[in-house]
Amino acid sequence: MKAFSYKIYFFLIPVLVYQLIFGIYPLIYNLILSFKEVTLITYLGGGISQWIGLSNYLQILKDPVFQKAIFNTLIFTGLSLSFQFIIGFWLALLFNHTFPLKGLFQSLIMIPWVLPIMVSGSFFRWFFNDQGMANNFLLSWGFINKPIPWITSKIFPILSITAANIWLGIPFTFILLYTGLRAIPLELFESAEIDGANWWQKILYITVPLLKPVIITILTLGTILTVKAFDLIWIMTKGGPGDVSHLFTTLSYSLAFNKFHFGKASSLLVIMVLLVVGLTFLFNSTKVEEESSIE
Amino acid sequence: MKWSLGTVFIVIMLLVIVFTGFAQENVTITVQDYFDPAKSMGKFIQERIVEFENNHPNVKINHTFIPFNQLLPTILQQSITKTVPEIIMVNNPNVSQLIKGGVLKDLTDKVKEWGWENWEDFIKGYRDNGSYDGKIYAFQITGNNLALFYRESLLNKAGIANPPETWQELKEQCKKIKELLDISPFAYDAEASDEGSFQFYPFLWSNGGSLLELDQPEAIEALQFLTDMFKEGYIPRDVLNITSQGDLTPWFINGDVAFMINGCWEFGWHLTEDVMQQLGDVKVTSIPVQEKGIRPIVAFGGECYGISSNIDPAKYDAAWEFLEILLSSDINLKINIDSASLPTRVSATEKILTEVPILEPFLEQSKYALPMALMGGMENYGEISSILWVAIQKAFTGVATPEEVFKEAAQTIKGIFSPEDYEMYKQVARELLQEASKK
Repeated sequence: MKAFSYKIYFFLIPVLVYQLIFGIYPLIYNLILSFKEVTLITYLGGGISQWIGLSNYLQILKDPVFQKAIFNTLIFTGLSLSFQFIIGFWLALLFNHTFPLKGLFQSLIMIPWVLPIMVSGSFFRWFFNDQGMANNFLLSWGFINKPIPWITSKIFPILSITAANIWLGIPFTFILLYTGLRAIPLELFESAEIDGANWWQKILYITVPLLKPVIITILTLGTILTVKAFDLIWIMTKGGPGDVSHLFTTLSYSLAFNKFHFGKASSLLVIMVLLVVGLTFLFNSTKVEEESSIE
Repeated sequence: MKWSLGTVFIVIMLLVIVFTGFAQENVTITVQDYFDPAKSMGKFIQERIVEFENNHPNVKINHTFIPFNQLLPTILQQSITKTVPEIIMVNNPNVSQLIKGGVLKDLTDKVKEWGWENWEDFIKGYRDNGSYDGKIYAFQITGNNLALFYRESLLNKAGIANPPETWQELKEQCKKIKELLDISPFAYDAEASDEGSFQFYPFLWSNGGSLLELDQPEAIEALQFLTDMFKEGYIPRDVLNITSQGDLTPWFINGDVAFMINGCWEFGWHLTEDVMQQLGDVKVTSIPVQEKGIRPIVAFGGECYGISSNIDPAKYDAAWEFLEILLSSDINLKINIDSASLPTRVSATEKILTEVPILEPFLEQSKYALPMALMGGMENYGEISSILWVAIQKAFTGVATPEEVFKEAAQTIKGIFSPEDYEMYKQVARELLQEASKK
């Protein structure tokens, strides 16, 4: 067996330096801010930020807007991941067959991913406006007799934002599942057919188990990307009207740059990071269990 | 050794060159503002820079363009990294925050050298906003305020001869226009930003309400009036999601609305001369008040220039010298003609009406327009403004009644201050309001 060489660490230096500067340092700085009372004046250097322990965390946990943001984040993440997965999976199964113009349709599916969020976010804002395309379409076809306030009411905005996010995330789920699907040997399906398995049984007993690592990756990355989504919501509603469509990220931004409560904003981000790390750990442990059971 | 006259001359010249070279160390200054280099004001500033650089060969000036809504976030980031440029533009309500935060330099001594009469030529409200504790930190270079824009032809179509003067008239006219023309006729910006707050002040202040006493009947009445207008469908719902007051104007131009609350800058932006000619029916009047005879009180907007407190002492003189040029009365006039804004120096104010006569109602209002920061707890203004716009949106969308949202907002605002500070700022706001309402 070849002796272990410490030289390997030398090659890790660039990534370690990068992570220290752009990953660890901001995280630690954010953590420190979350224990202090940081206002605009102290942030700018016009005073000293007082160390206030867990006060920011306690205040934020009691804040009804934060509680609403948790609820919204759960709705947004849950619905986004579910629909993105279902639609992405269905598309992957569809594209696993050969049909005319398949390449063209595949490229069209990738469009949401290609567009900058600024463009797609602005489009959806216009689309869901009172005078926007969605209402115009529904009105002109007689489905409704007055515009639905998609992003200007107290109920619909979070659902409209979620719908936009589902559209944005489909290419990501589709491409991962499609790649995973293509790696499954066709012989497995053929032997299952010979054994008399129907379409549903093939999906349930061959496709899904073999795609499990891909599914877990999708869930892990999808959760991270969805919980930390900011730009789409900010462009569409800025967390409003009022504060009805805030997620963790938009509420944190609003606390920092509208209200100048940098300490509270940081504590909210720490809670968010802990949540994401926790979920990632959960998904990854499932993956490890799965891998070890295969071995 | 005998030196010839020629040698002595050459030695002296060399010494002069060496010493003046040392004395005039090369410096680079950055001016950061929202004047787009591709547009006429940016080009105008660039011309001043070239002139200045020609007269001061040792000074190089860079001009950095930052969009309006990024002015404060950019300065915040720059403050942390100690990279605030030498000359910075600041939106006027943020000046007090940046003074308290130590970002802006005390320029009082330079102003004394420049001539106190120059400082006193700035309109009082702007001077109050740019100074603190008797020291001068910032100079307002553009001014603006809001008025009611209306499309006369649309009013005529609905059989309306004169624009509204009171809230009741505005409501009745909107009802008529909506019924006859099937449009939501009144464009009022209720977006989630300072601009949303800015639009509410004329209704609040003209009714005798204060930003620091939102639970009082005068404030609740103002919000109730606008909420009713919104719920009746007189205000388009999309006003909750626009990105700036400028977004109202395309609706106005297209005839989707008959009225809009907007600022004088629109005449330098969307409502340019050719557009005005094409429409042919755009008029401006004061924002309606609750009862005839009440003076409409608006907030003044506009931006200021100041110098960074972290400026390298070697650059200070040159930075001030360039700032002095930007602050001169002629340039004040030019900047404001170009952007259809209001000059901030009295000497320039008198001249602008001959160039842009449509600014007349705005100029009249500017005499008693109020500073937002002073009316809203100075360095806490930003937070208070955000509490206000959230409350307005909550009332509009029916999350709670105007009374409930304003009572809650008033409680939150009170909690920002110590009891003594709250009483002091409340008193300041009351006095300013009383002063402005006097005819």
